[in-house]
Parts: sequence; C-alpha cells; structure tokens
Amino acid sequence: MEALTPDKIPRAQQVISILWPSFICAIVASGIFFSAFNPKELIPFNLDIDISPLAAYSIGFLLFWILAIVSSMGTLYFTISNCRVLRKQGN
Amino acid sequence: MPVQQADNNDNPLYVAHQKIYPRVASGRFARLRVLSILTLLGIYYVTPLLQWNDRQAILFDLPARKFYLFGLTLWPQDFIYLAALLILAGLSLFFFTALLGRVWCGYACPQTVWTEAYLWMERKIEGNRSKRMKLDKAPTSASKIRIKLLKHTIWITFSLWTGFTFVAYFTPINELANNLFTGNLGPWEMFWILFYSLATYGNAGFMREQVCMYMCPYARFQSAMFDSDTLIVAYHPERGDPRGSRRRGTDPKEVGLGDCIDCNLCVQVCPTGIDIRDGLQYECIACSACIDACDEIMDKMKYPRGLIDYTTENSARGEPQHILRPRILVYATILLVLCGLLLTHISQRIALDLDVIRDRNTLYRETRDGLIENVYTLKILNMDSSSHQYSLWADGIDGLKLVSDQPELIVEAGAVYETVVRLQADEFNMEERSVPVRFHLQAIEANHLTIVEEARFVGPGKK
Ligand code: SF4
Ligand code: SF4
Repeated sequence: MEALTPDKIPRAQQVISILWPSFICAIVASGIFFSAFNPKELIPFNLDIDISPLAAYSIGFLLFWILAIVSSMGTLYFTISNCRVLRKQGN
Repeated sequence: MPVQQADNNDNPLYVAHQKIYPRVASGRFARLRVLSILTLLGIYYVTPLLQWNDRQAILFDLPARKFYLFGLTLWPQDFIYLAALLILAGLSLFFFTALLGRVWCGYACPQTVWTEAYLWMERKIEGNRSKRMKLDKAPTSASKIRIKLLKHTIWITFSLWTGFTFVAYFTPINELANNLFTGNLGPWEMFWILFYSLATYGNAGFMREQVCMYMCPYARFQSAMFDSDTLIVAYHPERGDPRGSRRRGTDPKEVGLGDCIDCNLCVQVCPTGIDIRDGLQYECIACSACIDACDEIMDKMKYPRGLIDYTTENSARGEPQHILRPRILVYATILLVLCGLLLTHISQRIALDLDVIRDRNTLYRETRDGLIENVYTLKILNMDSSSHQYSLWADGIDGLKLVSDQPELIVEAGAVYETVVRLQADEFNMEERSVPVRFHLQAIEANHLTIVEEARFVGPGKK
C-alpha cells in the first residue's frame, strides 16, 4: 500500500482535524482568559454596548476558536502543499 | 503491539469504512457496562436539578462569575483549583490506564456512554443487527421512511434534552425552563443548546467509533501508558487456533481444531468492527463485548470460558504479573500527594480578598498637624456565604494611624465593597522615603477570616 500522506487524507477528516483541536484550544484559552478578565470591564467606557454576560463569553469563545482554526488551517495547508512540492521534486 | 492501519484511501466522505452494526452482547461485562452507563447518564441529567440552600447545587454562574459546587463557592481567583483538578484528572487517566488499560473508553467515556444510549434507541426502533442491516439495504418504502423518521425524531428529542441540560450547568435550570416555555430564550442560550444537541446527535448517532479512531488523542498515545502488565482484552490463539466450525459437543482435539468455532460473533458485537483475534489493535476500546459473546459460545459448546478475556501481556505469555510496579507506584504517589495538597488548600482557603490600590495622583500630602498622609482605595471581596462586619487596621510604621470616613465595614455575602482610607504617620518615624505597610482585615466574630495585604507608604524622605 502506498504511504498515506497528508494530502491524501479524506476531506472530511481534514476538516475535523482542523475544527476539533482548535475547539479544545479555544476552551482552554477562554477558560484562562475569562478567569483573568471580566468581560464587563473589557468594554471601553466610551462605548455604550449592552451585552449579556453569556453573549460576551460566547463571542469570546468563538473568536478564540476562529483564531485557532486559522492557525490549524495554516498548519494543514503547509503540510499538504509541502507534500506536493516534495513529490514534484521526486522525493 | 500490532497496530492496524485503517484503509481509507478511496473514501471521499467521513465514512472511512463501512457502517458498523454492532450486535448486542449480553453477559456479566455487558451488565456492568449498562450499570455504569446508566449511572453516568443519570448523573449528567440529574445534577442540574439538585438544589442547595435555595440555589442550584452545581452551577457555573457566568454573569456573577462564580462557580457553585454544593457548599463551596469558587471565584475566578480560585482558577488554580480548576487547573489542579484538570491535572488530577489527567494523572488519574495515566494511573488507571497503566493499571486497567482502556476501562475509561469502554465504560465511562461520554462518547461511549451516549453512543450506547443511541444504539439502544436504534435497536428498540429498527430491531436487531440483521434487521437493521436489512432495513438499510431495502429500497425506500413508506415503512422504511416511517421507521427512520421515528428514530431520528427520538434521537433529536434526546439530543435537545442533552443540549438543554448542558446549558443548565451555566444558567439556572428553572430560569432556563421558564424562558424556554415562555419563548424568552436568549439567542446565545438557544445557540448553545442547538450546538450541543447537534454535537451529541452527530457523535452518538453517526460518527460513533470514528470519533475514537480519528479524533481521540487518548486512543493514539495510550500505548505510551501501556506496559506488559496492563489489563487488555485478548484472544488466546494457542487455545483457539486452528479455528473451524464443528458440531456441538465435539472434542476439538479429535478433529484437530482449537477451541474457536469461527462463529464470528466476537466480530459482530464489536462496536469498532475489529477482529480481536488478529491481536491487540488501537481501535479496541476494551468494551469487553467480545468477551461476553465468546463466553456465551463457550458455554454452549461446553468448553471452558475465557477464550477471549481480560488478561495482561505477561500472563498471556505465562510470565508472572506485577500489579505494584514502579510506574503504578509513582503515579499513585503523585496522585495522592496532589489530592492531599488540593484538599488542604481548599480547607484552609480564606473566603476573603483584599486589594489595596495607592492613590496615584498625589504621592503624599501633609495634614494640618504636620503628619504625612497617603490615600488608598481598598477593594474588599467577601467570598463567604454569609455577610460579615470587618475590622481594619494597619501597621509597619510607629504610630501609624488609619483614618476612614466609614464607621462600619459590612460586606454582603459574595459582594465587592470599595472604600477609601487614609494612613497618617510622622515622617520622623520613617526610615526611608518609601516604607512598606501592612493592612490587616479581619471579620468580627469570624476570626479565621483574616487577610494581610502589603502596600507602600511614601513620604518626603529624611531631611
Ligand atoms: S466468538 Fe469466540 S468462538 Fe466465536 S469466532 Fe470469536 S473467538 Fe471464535
Ligand atoms: S475487540 Fe472486543 S473489547 Fe475491543 S472494542 Fe471490539 S468488542 Fe470491544
């Protein structure tokens, strides 16, 4: 059997391998971040935003998730494109 | 350890291999498993319903930034406890894995627990293994649609209940139920209920063993925690091989066969669809369904049980087993020490916090009596479950005086109180320009609630 290289991993598994680790990172990151900072105190005084705590925490979590997703996507993208480059070079 | 590589090259979707239709196994381990699964499901769904002194017993109160755990109230400052708990959980996983192998996977992992629950519903609606396979192969018909519709409706209802329960760990369940039935559910509450429901529905209804195989980090690095004395589920080839079918009551030796009648039941019951007779594989979640299935066959054949059983690599090889080995002792010691530290720390935790902020606008000023005065803002956080009156004093300089406009310091339970105080000292008693001083805060009638906080007192410096 030909070796299974990252670019041959099924699309759905690629998606999972991006979403899932970043989800866990987002949980850890929001846990640490929101223990240190109260979202109520993060909103600058000149901005009159009325936002419920749950909304603030949720948005914070989703932002962390997106951040981690972007990072995971970068890793996967480079891994896959490196595979293709190396293969073209005949390695 | 032989680890098989799943062949999923030519599959475009997440169905890396064929759908698995596990046959239901019955026996002593199956009973144990059902007991464990029901207990855990019960704990999950019942916990938010528990009350403690007119509030929910276990609740992450996000707006108030508090975590209630029965009598204990934890604040963001207590984050360290949560971190310690996570470390403890991780270490216990190491400990139990080294000792008992993947018992967690087979008996306690949420993925297993909910998958089994969803499988049970599927079995009740679609029937046993062969009926389910036939139904899926059958052409679309009214009755097939009806059955599938029923199954998904029940699955989705159960998922929604699961999602609702999840959010009830963060929003008091009475309030949440009330909002739900009056149509006042907030958008984010709705979002999380649906999010969690969808995750449950997907993971337990469809992805199932694939979560264990492709998403679970534990399954990948478990081999690092295994040694030759770890409990595993294994087939005994020396006893079972050569395999072959035969009539009931045949003495295997007469026909030149081993004890395995090649009935394939161990494969059919396996929720991850592997053949344990090929050796230990990373897909095996040690659910012990194959042990029960094979024991039943052995009973029918009147052969001794245990052709597949819980064993260790050492005992399978006929070598002595070591339960108390260095690895286990080290894990156990670290676990006990950490548990002890955590418990002592929590029991000695002082439910009081004091923040001292020096007024930054003026370094110091001189009073009419010629004393040096510094101004401080104090933030008192009463983390106790009852309100207290506090006495406040300061020391660090001879004749240091604390002046406050507040005659009484009373802070409600769980409240933050802010007050401004002034410290006055004679500059001749100051050794240097800036001297450390200490604020003492003590609850009257609860002397153990005492806290000391350092600050600096600034003067003109020695002339
Ligand atoms: S259940 Fe037991 S007898 Fe049947 S195939 Fe498996 S190992 Fe052999
Ligand atoms: S091989 Fe046996 S113990 Fe392992 S997952 Fe399959 S049925 Fe469970």
